[in-house]
Amino acid sequence: MEATNAELYRLALTDAPYVIAAYGILWISFVAYVTMTLRRVMRLEKAVVVLEESLERREA
Amino acid sequence: MKQLRIAIILLLIGGLLTTTAFFMAFFTAEVQQFGTVTVASELDTAFQLVSVGDNGFSYGRPWFSQKIFYFHVPVAEASFLVLLLSAVFAVRFLMTRKRSFDTKSRIAMETSLVFVILTMITGVLWTRASWGVWWEWEPRLTTYFIMMLMMIAYFVLRNSIEDEERRAVYGAAFAVLAAINAPISFMITRVLESNHPVVFQSGMASSNLLPFIVAQVGMLMVGYAVYALRMSEERLGERIDAAKEALEG
Repeated sequence: MEATNAELYRLALTDAPYVIAAYGILWISFVAYVTMTLRRVMRLEKAVVVLEESLERREA
Repeated sequence: MKQLRIAIILLLIGGLLTTTAFFMAFFTAEVQQFGTVTVASELDTAFQLVSVGDNGFSYGRPWFSQKIFYFHVPVAEASFLVLLLSAVFAVRFLMTRKRSFDTKSRIAMETSLVFVILTMITGVLWTRASWGVWWEWEPRLTTYFIMMLMMIAYFVLRNSIEDEERRAVYGAAFAVLAAINAPISFMITRVLESNHPVVFQSGMASSNLLPFIVAQVGMLMVGYAVYALRMSEERLGERIDAAKEALEG
């Protein structure tokens, strides 16, 4: 392999862990944050329905 | 809920756009260069060699870690905009004293902090790959770090005040103070000498510009979606509190 092409591979392999880590952390963090928020929203929606139904029953 | 539906739609479109930008960044955007390397004689190589007279030939050193740019900058710019949104709501709260503006300001601050932390993580990784160090006290990094500390201090301040009215007023004033850092941090690399790259100053090839714009639009959509999602959660919480109060009363 030519010296410069060997350097090309070396440069790519040296930088790769940082690039992979940056994109990986970014996506995993977003997905985790959004998933946790969505799950909380769904749980709250169910609680709202139950509470407002019991409020309507009591008022009726 | 209308806001929740908008949040989910924006989240899906934003996710699609940022994923598209990710593939474009790696498959269509040309590799940027970071300095040059000189060799004594002509070589059969993938690099484009340029003759430099008696010194032999030179080629641009490929800058693979620059690929982080396509997400690092959109996340950073989204953090600035959401922080400014928080300050706008804070000012509106101070003018009207309506509690809903305080809630909006707090949620925008929280959303912005998520983006700021992600900008810091991607930035530190890019700094390590490009400059060989994890951190450097240069103007952009320092001002952005101060901005992050002020945003964390905003939540510490809020949690330390029990009285709701005082908490909201102090929080709003501090949100405005924290947001002043956004234009300072954004402009500082254009005013002071800095190692940090300045976007658009040296021009950008269209193959690089397109994934950046797609990622930027997508990230702004994700930013607003996260804010709207948290606002929906907050409103549901308020409805639960109101229903509980009515049931107990």
